Amino acid sequence: MNRKKLSGRKLFLLIWLGVIVLLLIGIAVLSKLHPTEHAESVKEVMRDGVLHEVNKINFFGIEVNPAVLSAYIVTGIILLAAVLIRIFAIPKFKFIPEKLQSLLEMPVEFFSGMAKANSPHKSGFAGAYIFSAGLYIFLSTLFELLGIQAVTAHGASIALPAPIADINAAIAMGVLSYVVILGAGIICGGAKGALNVLKDFSLPISMSFRLFGALLSGLLVTELVYYYFSLSFVLPVFVGVLFTLLHAVIQTYVLTTLVSIFYGEAVEPRKKSKHSRKNAKKNQKLIDERRKQQ
Amino acid sequence: MPLNIDFLQVLLHMLNFVILAGGLTLLLFKPINKFLENRKAHFEKLERDNAESAEANSKAKAEYEQKLNNAEAEIAEMKQNAEKDMASAAESYINDAKDKASALLKAAETEAENRKQHILDAAQTEIGELVISAAQKLLSDTVTPERDRELYDAFIRLAENDPGHKPSARIDKSKTAGVSSNNSAGRKKQ
Repeated sequence: MNRKKLSGRKLFLLIWLGVIVLLLIGIAVLSKLHPTEHAESVKEVMRDGVLHEVNKINFFGIEVNPAVLSAYIVTGIILLAAVLIRIFAIPKFKFIPEKLQSLLEMPVEFFSGMAKANSPHKSGFAGAYIFSAGLYIFLSTLFELLGIQAVTAHGASIALPAPIADINAAIAMGVLSYVVILGAGIICGGAKGALNVLKDFSLPISMSFRLFGALLSGLLVTELVYYYFSLSFVLPVFVGVLFTLLHAVIQTYVLTTLVSIFYGEAVEPRKKSKHSRKNAKKNQKLIDERRKQQ
Repeated sequence: MPLNIDFLQVLLHMLNFVILAGGLTLLLFKPINKFLENRKAHFEKLERDNAESAEANSKAKAEYEQKLNNAEAEIAEMKQNAEKDMASAAESYINDAKDKASALLKAAETEAENRKQHILDAAQTEIGELVISAAQKLLSDTVTPERDRELYDAFIRLAENDPGHKPSARIDKSKTAGVSSNNSAGRKKQ
């Protein structure tokens, strides 16, 4: 009896899997025979993915890239969540944390610790800045997974991209980070501090383009997968989500680490010259290693 | 601009991020950070308190051990003293008992001597009476009571003055005891 049951189950599984495989093969063959007619060529898709020249969005009367709208939506969502957390969750915090409390404490502890480790002399503002930047980059990168639709200025429908995938957003983050580092250098070190930061004038450019490049590479790979693969309802789910998560985490970590390291250098007291030189060398080595890794 | 760089949009992005950073700092970072610092301070205080109480405990333990050692030494000393006291008390009791025993013995000896003397006296009196009654029998009616008494006194004096006469008197007493008793019984019959 048992043998008969087992063989029956095996037979059913084999047939079921066989049918699925046959159907998949059929779909693949048919899609090759009758390729999908794309409204845009791959060049146009990629160019628009990078430059956002065509699909502009009306934002309070200004024609902007869709990333601007994405950025404000992300900010709105994050701030709303922050307000709710501030009102309902934080007052109920306990010394022995529960799940939500641990989840909220984790990023604060992580970025605060990173700021303290890289900028031991003055880490308060650096901690707050890299916490905000890290959270923004991570969540705004994940935002593209939602695929929220928007209408362009020409009436076409597009899925809103990640804000940082727009070069303007990346430049904004890079320049703001540089301004924060420069400001900290001026406040803590005076003119000398400012000069020390100013000599790294390539910093905002490198930061901006690193961020933009990393985010863009993820976006382009996803676009390519969507464009070329016939099984666009199976594979992109994994590829898109994995790529998005991966470069979200990496870019968050890279930008926050760089900002905290440069901030630490800028606010370091100048009296301990030997110590600072050693630290600067160490930091430079760390930065070079990370650049090589990237 | 190349790469579709638009400074207006850069500024829009900056404005967006400044709003976000300010909001996040005020709403999340500062309160949570403050809470974390408070918690850290709380646990550090607890740790300090624990360390202090542990130190106090170790001190108290050392004191207790010291006291215990002192108490043990004191107990040993007290035990030694008690043993000494007990030994001296026992000795004094024994001495008292010995004294009492010797006193009792002496008293008993005195008592025995007294009783012996008394018996002797009684025996002498009885012997005297026996002698008198015997003499009375011998002399029959010629002897008067006055004569008897004189004889008796003379006999007593003789017995007292002549120590060599005593044993014979004693022997005579034992010998005469039965006679005297017989005589007294006879006299009583008379």
